[in-house]
Amino acid sequence: MLFVVFAIPVYLVSVLLWGWRFPQSFKPNIKYVKGGYGYTFSRLKEIKQLDKGVDILFLGSSHAYRGFDPRNFPGMKTFNLGSNSQTPIQTDLLLQRYLDKVTPKMIIYEVFPNGFCIDGVESALDIISNDKNDIGSVIMAFKINDIPTYNTLIYSSWCEALHLYNSFSEPVRKQKFNDTYIRGGYVEKDLQQFSDTCCEPAKQWEFRREQIKAFEKTVTRIKTKKIELVLVYAPVTSSFYHSYINNQAFDSLMNTYNVSYYNFNELMHLNDSLDFYDKHHLNRDGVAAFNKELKHHLK
Amino acid sequence: MLFNSFSFALFLPVVFFIYWFIANRNLKIQNSFLLIASYYFYSCWDWRFLFLLMFSTLLDFYTGIKMSEADNQQRKRVWFLLSIIVNLGFLGFFKYYNFFTETFAEALSNLGLNVNPWVLNIILPVGISFYTFHGLSYVIDVYNNKITAERNFVDYAVFVSFFPLLVAGPIERATHLLPQIKRKRVFNYNQAVDGLRQILWGLFKKVVIADNCADYANLIFNNSSHYPGSVLLLGAIFFAFQIYGDFSGYSDIALGTARLFGIELLRNFSFPYFSRDIAEFWRRWHISLSSWFRDYLYIPLGGSKGGTWKKIRNTFIIFIVSGFWHGANWTFIAWGALNAIYFLPLMLTNRNRNNMEIVAQGRILPAPQELISMIITFGLTVLAWVFFRAENMEHALSYFSGIFSLSLLTVPKGSDFISTAIAPAPMFCLLAFFNIIEWIGRAQPYAIANIGTGWHRLLRWAFYSFIIVLMGVYMKTDESPFIYFQF
Repeated sequence: MLFVVFAIPVYLVSVLLWGWRFPQSFKPNIKYVKGGYGYTFSRLKEIKQLDKGVDILFLGSSHAYRGFDPRNFPGMKTFNLGSNSQTPIQTDLLLQRYLDKVTPKMIIYEVFPNGFCIDGVESALDIISNDKNDIGSVIMAFKINDIPTYNTLIYSSWCEALHLYNSFSEPVRKQKFNDTYIRGGYVEKDLQQFSDTCCEPAKQWEFRREQIKAFEKTVTRIKTKKIELVLVYAPVTSSFYHSYINNQAFDSLMNTYNVSYYNFNELMHLNDSLDFYDKHHLNRDGVAAFNKELKHHLK
Repeated sequence: MLFNSFSFALFLPVVFFIYWFIANRNLKIQNSFLLIASYYFYSCWDWRFLFLLMFSTLLDFYTGIKMSEADNQQRKRVWFLLSIIVNLGFLGFFKYYNFFTETFAEALSNLGLNVNPWVLNIILPVGISFYTFHGLSYVIDVYNNKITAERNFVDYAVFVSFFPLLVAGPIERATHLLPQIKRKRVFNYNQAVDGLRQILWGLFKKVVIADNCADYANLIFNNSSHYPGSVLLLGAIFFAFQIYGDFSGYSDIALGTARLFGIELLRNFSFPYFSRDIAEFWRRWHISLSSWFRDYLYIPLGGSKGGTWKKIRNTFIIFIVSGFWHGANWTFIAWGALNAIYFLPLMLTNRNRNNMEIVAQGRILPAPQELISMIITFGLTVLAWVFFRAENMEHALSYFSGIFSLSLLTVPKGSDFISTAIAPAPMFCLLAFFNIIEWIGRAQPYAIANIGTGWHRLLRWAFYSFIIVLMGVYMKTDESPFIYFQF
């Protein structure tokens, strides 16, 4: 018992020293990446600085922050709170933190079935590294129950306490990824087209209970606040979409929540090569077409 | 339920608490509880196979009693054969049925007779090779009057099913384990602490060394045609550490866990990679299986007595059967045969018992001659592991041809391992740390058994904490099963 009392602080301090002094290749289970792919740091910094509410809040994975361009919604104030591989567990955490601040009139929640099938580690690490941690982060880590998530949370908490990365700033343009951050949370990729449009092997979505539970919590949270909620399954390439044999099961699941749900893979036709830059991300042309179609449905 | 899973981390303290603080009023209750916990542990894999385990246990228990009650040798022999045939029949069906049908069909097709083998989709019950051998050793010992038949079913069932050893050994003997089960156990703090220390080292070997080496070994073996000989050799070395870390790590956790319950299991590993010849290696690797084959197969066959030809025959039989025990694949048979070839020169020149003591005993470093012998022995085992790891014989042979080519002289590049979780530099640092600790502790039952015993308590605790930190920073996060579960 005494050993446990001794080992816990030793572990906590060791994680700080290891994370601080060693290069990334020597700390595979401490995945602290500030301002990584996806601009989560910039997005969360911007949302903290918002002085008044928004008309539309977008939520979801990279399909959200790369799929809803605020410039395509003129006359409306929008904010995009999407993040890398965001799953319902992280969506709920972000809403818990920021919903009262942004007070949206409408929430457009991009629901990608994959988010319901994965553990959420990638997104958890992204949020832990780029946002201020609180008890919500601890609860999220316990839900995910994964060593890198625990370690990264410990390290991130040390960094906050010791102000280790206070001077960090994220560039608006990331040449390496051909990405530019647009105010309002959107990330614009330079125009590229998708060349590898070969057939995908058949597979099916397998939803996780804990993700569905978190999703239901989010829906209830939004409904309680009497905010209009729209669920959107953003377009992916048709070869990718049709490789999943149980898309209908996902549609049925989304239709059980008594809110508007649009599966744009069934509602509009896009070209796999011309409108996407990879198998499930729209390029600039695809985003314009998708946003136009979305506005049409919202009317 | 894996030893390296969160569910086991919950299961173990609960069972420990009930065992010592609730079920400790009398031995009967304690053993009954241990049996229930063991059956629960086993049913977490597949509850259906629990009935097979129960049937096998019941059969051997009943056979033991019937043999001891038999009024003549012939009747005794009938019961004995019944048990052997049924036990080996189950093992043969679940483990070897498809191998034999496919091999038979292939042999017929070579003779021009094309038949479709009736292959069944058989799930191998986890631990069947281990608990079958437990039962067999008991039945054989009763038959040979080495022990008296057990008449308490619960005690016998605990001997077969005790959860730390149920799925991957060590393969226990009734003469060693049953008396411990029948004796009242008293909680011993030092024994429990020792058990926890052994669990810690076992976990480190599994989750840090074995699982990360597996990352490298899998990458290289699965893409062997794309790599130069030098990388292929590295792949075989990584596999050598993977299988050692995996299986000896499992054994350490099993022994440590048993110690928490006041039970000492047979030692399974004794630093085999510090062996100076193959005979020594086999005295130190999977000791419980090697000694099982020695006692129940090699010696009954005549052992090393008799003429040269008989010695050669017996050596090949024991190694090939040992290989085949691991799995229904020609690669395991080739692995066994190659080890027999390694072993034969030592046996024929009576040098197989040359290195009985610990290497460099009382010294910090080995003598140059010892170092060279260890490197050669390690090299031979690494080459044999290629058969063990390869998918099939064709893969093994192409792997060898890759190693023994001019590309063996090329320098491996860091980009060869781009997809592994841990980069080569920290991986080699971890292997260096692991081998240094193993070397320091080579005279002990397990590497960290005595490290730090003379230190100040805080320093010793800091050392254990450091191992925990290494696990936290480098462990693979997916709960990968132990290799020997498939056997």
